[in-house]
Amino acid sequence: MFPAPVAKASPGARFAYSALLPLALIVWLLPLIGVAVTSVRPAGDLAAGNYFGIPSGFAGVENYSAVFQNSPIGQYILNSFKVTIPTVIGAVALSCLTGFALAVYRFKLNLTVFFLFVAGNFIPFQILMVPVRDLTLRAGLYDTTLGLVLFHVAFQTGFCTLFMRNFIKALPFALIESARVEGVSEWKIFRHIVLPLMRPAIAALSVLIFTFVWNDYFWATVLVQGSHAMPVTAGLYSLNGQWIAAWHLVSAGSIVAALPPVAMFFLMQKHFIAGLTLGATKG
Amino acid sequence: MTAIAPPAVAEAAAPGGFWKRHQRRLAPWLFLAPGMLFFLIYVIVPIFQSIWISFYDWDGLSPATWIGFGNYSELWTDDAFYTSLWNNLLWLVLYLAAVPLGLFAALFLNQTVTGVRLYKSLFFFPFVISQVVVGLIFSWFYAPNFGLFSEFTEWVTGREIAVLADERYVTLGIIVAGLWPQIAYCMILFLTGLNNINPEQIEAARMDNARGWRMLWHIVLPQLGPATFIALVVTVIGALRSFDLVSIMTDGGPYGSSRVLSFYMYEQALSEYGFRMGYGAAIAVVLFAIMMVFISVFIVRMFSQERA
Amino acid sequence: MAEVNLSGVRKDFGQVSVIKGVDLAVKDGEFCVFVGPSGCGKSTLLRMIAGLEDISAGELRIGGADVTRIGPSDRGVAMVFQSYALYPHMTVRENIGFGLRMTGHPKEDIQRRTAKAASMLQLQPLLDRKPSQLSGGQRQRVAIGRAIVREPEVFLFDEPLSNLDAALRVQMRAEIATLHHDLGATMIYVTHDQVEAMTMADKIVVLNAGKVEQVGSPLELYHRPKNLFVAGFIGSPKMNFLKAVAAPLPEGRIGVHLPGGGTIALDARGARLLQEEPVTLGIRPEHLELGQAGGGQLTGTLKLAEYLGSETMFFLALENGGELAVKADGLAKAAIGSTLCVGVPARACHLFDSEGRTLVNGDLSA
Repeated sequence: MFPAPVAKASPGARFAYSALLPLALIVWLLPLIGVAVTSVRPAGDLAAGNYFGIPSGFAGVENYSAVFQNSPIGQYILNSFKVTIPTVIGAVALSCLTGFALAVYRFKLNLTVFFLFVAGNFIPFQILMVPVRDLTLRAGLYDTTLGLVLFHVAFQTGFCTLFMRNFIKALPFALIESARVEGVSEWKIFRHIVLPLMRPAIAALSVLIFTFVWNDYFWATVLVQGSHAMPVTAGLYSLNGQWIAAWHLVSAGSIVAALPPVAMFFLMQKHFIAGLTLGATKG
Repeated sequence: MTAIAPPAVAEAAAPGGFWKRHQRRLAPWLFLAPGMLFFLIYVIVPIFQSIWISFYDWDGLSPATWIGFGNYSELWTDDAFYTSLWNNLLWLVLYLAAVPLGLFAALFLNQTVTGVRLYKSLFFFPFVISQVVVGLIFSWFYAPNFGLFSEFTEWVTGREIAVLADERYVTLGIIVAGLWPQIAYCMILFLTGLNNINPEQIEAARMDNARGWRMLWHIVLPQLGPATFIALVVTVIGALRSFDLVSIMTDGGPYGSSRVLSFYMYEQALSEYGFRMGYGAAIAVVLFAIMMVFISVFIVRMFSQERA
Repeated sequence: MAEVNLSGVRKDFGQVSVIKGVDLAVKDGEFCVFVGPSGCGKSTLLRMIAGLEDISAGELRIGGADVTRIGPSDRGVAMVFQSYALYPHMTVRENIGFGLRMTGHPKEDIQRRTAKAASMLQLQPLLDRKPSQLSGGQRQRVAIGRAIVREPEVFLFDEPLSNLDAALRVQMRAEIATLHHDLGATMIYVTHDQVEAMTMADKIVVLNAGKVEQVGSPLELYHRPKNLFVAGFIGSPKMNFLKAVAAPLPEGRIGVHLPGGGTIALDARGARLLQEEPVTLGIRPEHLELGQAGGGQLTGTLKLAEYLGSETMFFLALENGGELAVKADGLAKAAIGSTLCVGVPARACHLFDSEGRTLVNGDLSA
């Protein structure tokens, strides 16, 4: 293991490390800690200039309920779920199919199709903005969650295909051949052999896509205008404009908006990191 | 597995119906069809449409007028475009600091003391949070009069720096905010890479008297190649796509000095200044061209690995 | 009836030929083993018979029907893979019945056949376990069971024992042989292990670089190899090869001048030698006679001795260069560096011409 384990170092070094670790973490998360503290600070503190001192009292309940009562943030959160969950289902489902096709079959255009997906995944998506907005408008889906879902599904399919294809490729190919010799049809091979073995990949991709789509801001501003369909990222930005200097509310709103992906991350940490670091271990 | 076999010519003599005979040749296309259809409609075709639109003067509603390279020649003399381009380059260069810093963080955390797992997840935290929230957090961090950062600079230098209102510092300030989650991302990539190095190799190198920097340089780094590659790819893409933070923290200001290409194109195409779709598309095409340079490098590398 | 016939079967990947035209007839109920060094194409050939690889040219018939262009499921074959290819998410019972279930066999039928296969392979107590809970030998049996339930006319085995330890391998070898006897089906078996080939096969096909070197029964290959390759490949420890010069002698005999100086006179057995020419003399370590002068004689310095108990292997460095392995009695002893005399019995000698073709085979078996 590199670097050398601290456990084997001198007591002094061990002590220094165990002291440095929490200190580094506090410095690293300082902005976040500040926001968390501010979100429970009474409004009076800010007026009195007490931005960073000990809060004069705990106003978490007031601040958070104010956020929910005086703003459509509940609606925004609901919209975010309405966008995120169907996108996860759609993108994962489509990429199970495309990944299977690209991993299992040898055909002339295999690599070409694969790299089309990979390259599409790398492009600066701003180049899609004008045509996609136009397409969504013409389809009557502008300012709806469905319009956002369809685009996200399509765009995330690129990344998901890369992921699924590499995952299936790592499965023993003899499983598929053995089923073929037994006369199992291609669809049933997919359905009964490959799909059950893809559970870890599906879990990993689901949490990743959930986080990506939940945190999307660009498309939320491009394809949505009104608060009835606006996801929480874009919503928070517009609230920020209304709550000038009401930092305790902005902070509470930020925490609320950040909570679902954070919870997802802590619940599914293993899958999340496995998904994110795909490719970091082998070529 | 990647060798392409000539397709079997199914003779009419084979038993079973058309489907049974051609199943293995048709199946991949049937599996691909739904995903490819979506991807073509929403990703591949729009790239070409954007290029096409960039030759028009179009407000998105009335009929478009063909102006050839008009948009591009306007870009040529547009100061705001050059500001954005310059800022994008700045992003690209400074954002790459996330790679070595992430490696440093990973080396710092690659220990087995109790509770280190929790530390790793907490260090990773900023990446999970939306850029909108990161932007808000840092706006507040930089806020003049009371922000932690401005308090700190006042304490150190005796005068306050309003980072986001100062043309000299604004882009730097936004990039630092962007580095925060990006370092976390690179860190997790390197932690995984470090985890996958065969411990016996490290021990063998210790027996050969490699230590510290020399161990890092000669033994560890070469094995982190794949992790480094991915870290570079995601960082470059992140730098060129940067939009959220600029939009949240400064809205391109002050006086447009923190614009990047993606933000400028959004502003031109959709904002209150009027809908200039063609001009916006032209900016996007420039951004796309820059990105293509990098994408081709990635793709060539990945492609040769697939072929090998 | 399920005989397997290959005629002119080829496999090309672009410019590269992996199988360079194979003609072969496997009789109904025969146990046929493909053997050869790694990369010789034996697995590819098996997979072509299974239908997992396309056949580039030539014809494949199973049970008389042309199946060259037919998918694997319609060839009436079952295959046991090297990695066993058990479906990790299914129990043993589900693994065995999967193919039948997917091809729409009735439930009772699947149950009956699964039970029968399980009892043949002593798998009954394991039916509800997952593959991860099984030992290597048990997994192997499940893989075989999965082939049996389909009641195929031809079984294909792709190095099925290579993932097992030595003791299990011997046991499974016997089990597969028993199975062949009980089922009476045609079996084609790929291995790189020539002991497996010798012990199990009715017929061995020796492959090298995509071509058939020789087809025959185990003893035929051992006693009458057609060329240098087969002679060197079959038999363990390997046959010794010595560079020598052969000259015609009267009365249908051939004189071989040994590198050490001696000469052995062999019965030509029909081989015709017109003039003196360089040859390779082949003799198996077990046919050399330590310390006896019979026919010819070689002397060398002992470099290495392996005492295996049942036998002793001596490795000598010959006086003029060249090496010689000698298999001796388990009680034989000699000091490293000592000089040993080895007798070369004439009737155990094989002669190969400069192109590696056999001129004369020994006549021990005759």
